[in-house]
Amino acid sequence: MSVPSTPSKRLTLDTATTPTTSRVAATSSTVHSSPHYQTTRRHSLYGTEDRIVIDPGSRIWKVGFSGEGRPRDVFFGDGQDGVPLWGLTRATNQLDREEEDRALQAMLQERLRAVFHDSLLTDPKSRRVIVIEHPLLPLYIKDMMARILFTNLQVPFVSFAPSHLLSLLAVGRITGLVLDCGHLESAVLPIFASRPLFHHLKTTPLAGARLTEHIRSLVLLFGKYTPPPPALPAPRSAAAIQRQTSVPAEALTNAVVEEIKTRVCLVGKAFELSAEDSRPSQQQHVTPYHASSNDDVIDVDHPSSDAAQSESEFSRVSMDVDSPAPGSRVASSSYSMVSIEDSQGTSSSHLGEHGGSQVLADLYKRHSTASDIKMPVAPPASSGGLGRGVLMIPGWIRERAAEVLFDGGDVDEVSVAEVILESLLKVPVDLRKTMASAILVVGGTPMMPGFIPRLHAEIARALAIPSSPQPQPSKNRKARPRPPPYDRYAPLRQLLPHFAILNNPDPPKAEKVSGPSQKKSTAAGKAPAFTPACMAWVGGSLAGSLKTGGVEIPREKWEEADVREEVETEDGAVTTVPSSPTSQVYNKVLPDWTRGPLPIGAPAANAHVQAQA
Amino acid sequence: MSAPSLKIYCPCLDPNSLPPPPNLPSSSHSYHEIHDLYFCEECDLIRCNRCVSVEVSGYYCPNCLFEVPSASVRGEKNRCARNCFLCPSCKNTLIVVPSDPPESADGRIMTINTLGDPPFFLYCSHCRWDSAEVGITFEKPTSLANQLQKHEDSAPDSLEFERLKEHFEPFIRASSASSSASHHLRTAQHVHSNPITAAASDALSRDVPGVSKYNPLSRSRVGRDKSNRDEMPEYRSRMDVSLTGSDTANVQHLLMIESPDEIATLEQRWINSWTSSVLVNDLKPLRIPLHSKKSKRCPTCRHILIKPEQKPQSVRFKIKIAATGYLPLMAISLPFLNNNLATTAKRSTRPGATWEEDRNSPSINPVMFGGRTYPFVLSFTNPMYDPIQIRINALRSPVSTTTVQTDETGPAQPEKRRPPFAITLPTYAFSVAAFAEAWEYDEDDDMIEDEHADLVDDRRHASASTNSGPARGGKAKTVGVLEKKANTTFIGGEVVIGKEAQGDVKFLTMVTFTYRNDTVDEVDLGDEDGDGSPVRTTNPSSSVLGGANKQPEIRTFSYYVVVDLGRIAQRNVEGSIDERR
Repeated sequence: MSVPSTPSKRLTLDTATTPTTSRVAATSSTVHSSPHYQTTRRHSLYGTEDRIVIDPGSRIWKVGFSGEGRPRDVFFGDGQDGVPLWGLTRATNQLDREEEDRALQAMLQERLRAVFHDSLLTDPKSRRVIVIEHPLLPLYIKDMMARILFTNLQVPFVSFAPSHLLSLLAVGRITGLVLDCGHLESAVLPIFASRPLFHHLKTTPLAGARLTEHIRSLVLLFGKYTPPPPALPAPRSAAAIQRQTSVPAEALTNAVVEEIKTRVCLVGKAFELSAEDSRPSQQQHVTPYHASSNDDVIDVDHPSSDAAQSESEFSRVSMDVDSPAPGSRVASSSYSMVSIEDSQGTSSSHLGEHGGSQVLADLYKRHSTASDIKMPVAPPASSGGLGRGVLMIPGWIRERAAEVLFDGGDVDEVSVAEVILESLLKVPVDLRKTMASAILVVGGTPMMPGFIPRLHAEIARALAIPSSPQPQPSKNRKARPRPPPYDRYAPLRQLLPHFAILNNPDPPKAEKVSGPSQKKSTAAGKAPAFTPACMAWVGGSLAGSLKTGGVEIPREKWEEADVREEVETEDGAVTTVPSSPTSQVYNKVLPDWTRGPLPIGAPAANAHVQAQA
Repeated sequence: MSAPSLKIYCPCLDPNSLPPPPNLPSSSHSYHEIHDLYFCEECDLIRCNRCVSVEVSGYYCPNCLFEVPSASVRGEKNRCARNCFLCPSCKNTLIVVPSDPPESADGRIMTINTLGDPPFFLYCSHCRWDSAEVGITFEKPTSLANQLQKHEDSAPDSLEFERLKEHFEPFIRASSASSSASHHLRTAQHVHSNPITAAASDALSRDVPGVSKYNPLSRSRVGRDKSNRDEMPEYRSRMDVSLTGSDTANVQHLLMIESPDEIATLEQRWINSWTSSVLVNDLKPLRIPLHSKKSKRCPTCRHILIKPEQKPQSVRFKIKIAATGYLPLMAISLPFLNNNLATTAKRSTRPGATWEEDRNSPSINPVMFGGRTYPFVLSFTNPMYDPIQIRINALRSPVSTTTVQTDETGPAQPEKRRPPFAITLPTYAFSVAAFAEAWEYDEDDDMIEDEHADLVDDRRHASASTNSGPARGGKAKTVGVLEKKANTTFIGGEVVIGKEAQGDVKFLTMVTFTYRNDTVDEVDLGDEDGDGSPVRTTNPSSSVLGGANKQPEIRTFSYYVVVDLGRIAQRNVEGSIDERR
């Protein structure tokens, strides 16, 4: 149970000694945050009440002790290759899947052991552990983590807490709409009175991984690369130094793209298209997005192809200015991925692709002010040369690469702003205003400067009234009136003045005059300035120090439920029973919201006793 | 490919099954070098770094080698509390330097003050970062961490955190009080709650962590005064995110940078839970994280496997039960790679394989070619003071594993494929003489070679190979016991590579060795081998428990070794090179 067992004596003591000056409170509490540590648990390094908070992401892990304001250690959970620990898909083949699971289990074990032994330097056997879980963390991974924690590390208690709720705690609230924009997915979860409304969860795959691929594609297409000078004896070095070439794909390793993303990219302000930008054109080509098609070097010397042909690819932007034709929303999604065609692709699509992205580049170039930068990169191994090459990244890529996250219209991959609205649509009507006025944005991707203000602008844009009602009036159709354009978010339009992102570092102030009630968006920007990426961890630390870290599963209970495997290990060493941990039998001890909110039938009369036990 | 290697299987990852096929990528986590392994005498099992339970036996700073008492480890957040700092840019150790002396023109004032002049700062001798740039200077050159402590204690994240705690504590206390009350006097108190809300509340609080029970009393009270639906007052943060202004500043900076070096990397920033500047100029020096001395125990029987000496300066161990002291040290060599006389002498025995081709192959790595036969030599070195009998048994790798082999570009029916190579190893037991210190100095190899009779060595010509390799027992010996030298025995084996074979030549071998145990330990031995495939079978003729038995106990220990011989090249040398690149 999550009921804290500490007597209230301690709490009163804390509140008594920390009346006004928070500095005194902090200095006393950073040394030891629990007073009984000094008296009773002298021998142990940390009080047993201090829990270990692990925020395991598919890429980045944050670990630390509860009661502290920042994680002790942050590290890449994946290897150096940048491949996340788990993805959105699993292998379909049985053998491949078993292999995948074995590899995952081995890596998880490595990471979890490193958490205790390398990062925190503590003994796992006396530590309670809070694992911060994403609501959509696959059960098999959760099960795997619990199994490693219980059996390999012999942790006494493990509890799982949903990351969205903990993030909300970190801003001092228990009600709100939390957008977690991570690496694999962006997920929105409304939470009311600390109850996550899991069934109103909405996700979109537009997140960090997609942004990384987009940056890679853009740099491959529009970046320039200066190879390092060849070895000194080479006679024609002077000529070679000056030559800028297209970016070789080998030079653009995962690490380089990651560095571009985390170091030099930002999210530019929303821009309105000028008139010459937005000549509508009805042609479009849908280019499939190749996630892994970066092997070929593309010649960047584009033929200056017809720009008008693919201008509709950014019709989303134009739509906002003048008018959305009903179909243009769908059409707009086609530019979302500037993808690199395989060189074997048909030449026509190749040209078209280049033309489209060139138009896109011109458009972005007009609307960006960021400076071009030169970035030293290691040259590809085959090219030779001394030193490092130089990668020239145009400023518009830095500023506008994140446009891919805000590019909505696709029904399957709604934009980051639209996914908030989608979730709001599912929330019961009487909660919508509450939720809309308490949006919290967490995760690693919102760490990009400018992300959150832009998100607010995008929400407002998505809710904007479709201005000129019939831009392309039915000319020669019948007199029958055209149906109004599909306006998915019309029910939410009333809420527009109420939208507030709690941790918006730059909340809109004066522009709310148009709204009828501008006093409502007061919560915007009022959250403490924890970074979005650490918000869930800080919440976990807070929950741990408040001793409400969720339902704790004791190890005995796990082992009890796990007795089937235990029996098998008893009977001889080289058994042939194929009971690997990758089997689909999950331990039912782990609580999870997907296991059904209510048991079948009425709860037993002593349900609370069971829950407490 | 790397050199041929031998790795030993530890069954901890998947204790119930046979060792995974060695050519699976995931299996690399199950196989370890012998130097990384421990051996639990009680359980009679191999233990690896993945399964031992680790305990911290001491903390120390890796820079000043100060042994930090564990009482202060927590308060200092696992970091050195003395003068040790890391450069935030390059992770080099910072040094404390004084300011420039006031009048340096004379060149004479260098020795006036040995400590230097008061504004001290930290300086990186590698990248020339200095802490004065970020406004950190010190009055004294000692106990810098203490002087910085004030900064850290007033860090906005910890202050805000305390405030959050204060904010939630009354709420948690109230809810816990009400929920505990509801446990005791459930029906009496909550007259408003009907069974349905009770059930829903119960289920919710069970499923939703950190949630109090639905409390109709407080709920209705809150509902009456309409103050807040959350049943808790609004939190007023100490410092709003909108007031920090760092995000807009960061945007402005980023728009104008000229080089990515102006911006701190993700790794330099991600520990900060408080929004801060992204500029590299604003990075603060880092206190050096402590290291720990770890002692490791067997996960089942809790016996210590390795325990370091307490002093940080010492690199010795008080207890060290490594596998190298218990298992014969195996080594492998591929004689066709060695340009020595021994291999050239044996070359004629290999049909179809010309040494010159191998040696002139463009790759210096051990590359084997399909359709040929290669000998290899395994050496076993006995670390124990008793002679041992070893029997090795190459396992035929399961056929299905070739389907998941990564670099397998083979035919379209991979399930039907046989392993692309066949291993021939002697199947009879051979002896390895005991270790003796005298051999460290003595060249007389065959001193006690025949002290105990090699009863089984005469069966060498019955070497039924585990895989159907060509039997050529009559020729010059490549399979069998090649040589015995001191406590090392050399065993020859052969690998026959199929014509179309590709990939790595990796195979599993079960090594079983029998030894006499002189030290009679009193624990019951039969029950500990529950979770491991290394099996110990006690010889039934010798009673284990009887203290009266004079004859030493014969024990058997077996474990799995994966032998990696190298990579098979394609027949077409050029093609293979292209493929590998």
